[in-house]
Amino acid sequence: MAAPAAPRPRRSLIEASLYAVTALILFFLVAPIFVVFPLSLSSGELLVLPTPGYSLRWYEEFFTSNRWLLATWNSFVVGLATMIVATLLGTLAAFGLYLGQFRGKALIIAILSLPMVTPIIVTAIAMYFALSLVGLGSTLTGLIIAHTVLSVPFVLLTVLASLQTFDPNLLRAAASLGASPPVAFRRVVLPLIAPGVATGALFAFATSFDELVVALFIASPGQFTLPRQMFAGVREFLSPTIAAAAVLLIVFSALLLAINEMIRKRAQARGISSGPTP
Amino acid sequence: MKTINIARAGLIVAVLAAAAPALARDLMVVGFGGGFQDNARKHLFQAYAAEKGVKVADDVYNGEMAKVYSMVKANDVTTDVIMVEAPELVRGCEDGVFEKLDWSVIDQKKFIPNGTTACGAGAVGWGVTLFHDPARTPTGPANYADLWDVQKFPGKRTLRSGAKMTLEVALLADGVAAADLYKVLATPDGQKRAFDKLDKIKPHVLWWKSGAQPLQLIGSGEAAYAVGYVGRTILANKNGAKYPIQWNTLLFSFDYWAVVRNSPNKAEAMKLINFMTDAKPLTNLAQDWAVSPANAAVANDPAVIAKNPGMVANHAKEGLFINTEFWVEHGADLEARFNAWLAK
Amino acid sequence: MSSRLASRRNVMAAALIAPLFLLVALSFLAPLATTLYRAIEDSDFSLALPKTSRSLQQWDGVALPPEEAFRSFVEELRQAQQDQAAGAILNRLNFEETGLRTLLLQATRASGRLAEPYRDSMIALNPRWGDPALWRLFKRATGPFTSLFLLRSLDLKPTDQGVAKAAAQDAVFLPLFWRTFEISLVVTILCALLAYPVAYTLSILPQGWANVGMMLVLIPFWTSILVRTTAWFIILQREGPINALLMAMTLVDQPLTMIFTRFAVYIAMVHVLLPFAILPLYSVMKGLKPDYMRAAASLGAPGWKRFLRIYLPLTMPGVAAGSLMVFMLSVGFYITPALVGGPGDQMVSSFIAFFTNVSVNWGMAAALATLLMAMTGVLVVVARLVVPGFRSGGVKA
Repeated sequence: MAAPAAPRPRRSLIEASLYAVTALILFFLVAPIFVVFPLSLSSGELLVLPTPGYSLRWYEEFFTSNRWLLATWNSFVVGLATMIVATLLGTLAAFGLYLGQFRGKALIIAILSLPMVTPIIVTAIAMYFALSLVGLGSTLTGLIIAHTVLSVPFVLLTVLASLQTFDPNLLRAAASLGASPPVAFRRVVLPLIAPGVATGALFAFATSFDELVVALFIASPGQFTLPRQMFAGVREFLSPTIAAAAVLLIVFSALLLAINEMIRKRAQARGISSGPTP
Repeated sequence: MKTINIARAGLIVAVLAAAAPALARDLMVVGFGGGFQDNARKHLFQAYAAEKGVKVADDVYNGEMAKVYSMVKANDVTTDVIMVEAPELVRGCEDGVFEKLDWSVIDQKKFIPNGTTACGAGAVGWGVTLFHDPARTPTGPANYADLWDVQKFPGKRTLRSGAKMTLEVALLADGVAAADLYKVLATPDGQKRAFDKLDKIKPHVLWWKSGAQPLQLIGSGEAAYAVGYVGRTILANKNGAKYPIQWNTLLFSFDYWAVVRNSPNKAEAMKLINFMTDAKPLTNLAQDWAVSPANAAVANDPAVIAKNPGMVANHAKEGLFINTEFWVEHGADLEARFNAWLAK
Repeated sequence: MSSRLASRRNVMAAALIAPLFLLVALSFLAPLATTLYRAIEDSDFSLALPKTSRSLQQWDGVALPPEEAFRSFVEELRQAQQDQAAGAILNRLNFEETGLRTLLLQATRASGRLAEPYRDSMIALNPRWGDPALWRLFKRATGPFTSLFLLRSLDLKPTDQGVAKAAAQDAVFLPLFWRTFEISLVVTILCALLAYPVAYTLSILPQGWANVGMMLVLIPFWTSILVRTTAWFIILQREGPINALLMAMTLVDQPLTMIFTRFAVYIAMVHVLLPFAILPLYSVMKGLKPDYMRAAASLGAPGWKRFLRIYLPLTMPGVAAGSLMVFMLSVGFYITPALVGGPGDQMVSSFIAFFTNVSVNWGMAAALATLLMAMTGVLVVVARLVVPGFRSGGVKA
């Protein structure tokens, strides 16, 4: 598509440089992430390359430290709770928006997606003021509420996108066969939009799992999540435990990404949209 | 179905959320971390726990008072006993975020002169000094005037990101005598002089916020010279580093134990403070860590002094005592001004 | 469809949307509204000194206030001091005018010696108490609203004669907003420039290779921002891999200072945000039909002309969507500048954090947040008007 009619040698020169530039940029994107792998296996105390030797001591440190274990536990509790609430509310609302035939739908979607476009620092202090006002500062519940608000737009938008390919005649058919709306939703709609829901859920979990700025303001040490604990580590003392934690986070993110790809592939095979996220 | 699902989800959330904090809250002590807290955990917190059968947990902060203020404001007090620097103690007491201490529980007579205030019981002395790593930079500045000599001592220096201590350092470097320092710093001209002096080395400074950072910056070679906490430098030296401590550059003060206002464990917190300032646990602590306790008997114990050449109290004559009243009065203004200056 | 059926559907739709709408309203819109309110609310003075407030509100503000105001001021301040409740008002007044904290504390400490008539006795203690301008400042502080925080965020201050410029040492916020804008703009442009060739190449590669390339974009996209920033922290260190490499190649004889610089902020932010620019651009390019280009080619237009006149405009919506996303995320960035930047590279966010966590001046934090939000809002509106083909729905990758 680039320039089929252009003279051959020039075209390949342009193409070659394009590939080279792309490769360089992709290298820039990926390489830094792998820097932490050798560091996490260092036998030394300092985060410097080359490492003096290799050992698993920093992983041992991670898995025997109460602080890191508590942070891991908190991250999963908050992430899963956020995922459940955000997916449930987001999916229902998306279906509602699909069903409804009234003006102002775009406005409602815009309002519900506001948390996505508000600068995160603003959201964070707004949450901090509000949650400490109602006594939910320094609680996991407060953190779950904040993360749900932050991640719900992703669910809403992915599910809305997969509903775009949903044929409304199917609902009418279900109704004519005597299915009540809830039954029709569960038996007809949900299976067809499942990939979108799953993608949204995954995104909600990942959003919560990565979120740091809100946690920075809301969480006290008892509610530290993994990113919050890592931040304290980077600020306090850069021991290779942080690199070990980083590696575990990277592996986990890769796992989430793999699950997401699987959902997408299976949906594609069935000809259903799994939402706008690639 | 919708309501059922929401109810179910609500239940799951409630269970998940309740799972972690559902454990009954232990008595919570928060300090500045580092080697002191690691040793205090053994000799003070857990020694008390063992003796009284009370569970004690501890955590770390960097002196951010906002968490304490919002805790009190929201009436959701998750910290009982907290270690604070003197000016923050006095201001927090005025602002009502600390309880007035119960001197019928805490023995006020055991402290050194001025070792207590209405809301605080003296814990330990601390100080900052100049140091560098001879392995990387053979010669380092011997005093603060030298620290400003970027020709003779090239490389980054790291200073505390705050007005307190840093303005003192600037005036000392500018040749102000220690005895006159706070008189000068109280005047607008003196403040301008300090900031003008800081302007001169601003491009050569890395600013630290937590006590561990100066050691990290020196250890990784990022900075060549540092003004950092003595206790941590001594600990690093114990672990193999060889950082010469310039005692003539010492700035020192005391940290205090305070009880957060409306703590649900107020009575227990007072008892813990009384225990932590007693001679016996502090003498035990002094075996492992160079404390300068505010307990008069321990501070003057020849055995303790001999064992801890790094006690800041031993070097009081060489150093400058950080003036609490000055910082209570000028802290808010100067910290804000410093922060604005830093961002320029 | 009958209108009855439609309205039944709408009732059901509303019931389905309501729970989420309630959640967002209660836990996002309401907090946002309280933040805006906090930026203008001013109740510390009237809460701590209610009687003084009332008598100051009745005072005409010309000559000195009546004796009653002086008396209740001394009594209430002393009481507040005893109740450990004076902190808020001291901080509030001292923020408006440096030195007021000292002045008020001096008065409370001497309150035992002050006697009727309080007015003369206070002026004898410190002539400043005889200055009507000081009492007008107090009168302004009796609330319920103030413009102080918003004005100070714009390097202005309220005075008796209206709005004036803030003192030079306090005037840091306009340059700060400008810096935030500058950093965000540079990051956005860099991201757009880097994203374009990548997205284009991925869109023309055979599917297998495109998938591999896409993976390389998605891995960092899914990796925690903090992990990536930490990685840059390590890479850019004085004794980090880049300096080691440069030294080994004898390109430099002294390690370069890269960490805690603007350069570090740019490189780490671009790294974090680049996928947000690539993904929407890729989906736009992928969706383009090759017919247009082929048609242009068959008309004999040379390659660069076809690119400029046809391909670029057709892909602009992707560039716009990605750039807007990157810019909006940049404006609120806190972690990356805090970790790899120096003090001269901090953005508005770091001052919001400072006022929230360190100096406990929530009015100022709220005011800065309000302005930051306004700045983002204005930008979105401008982008919708100016950028061709920008759709609100296309923002998210």
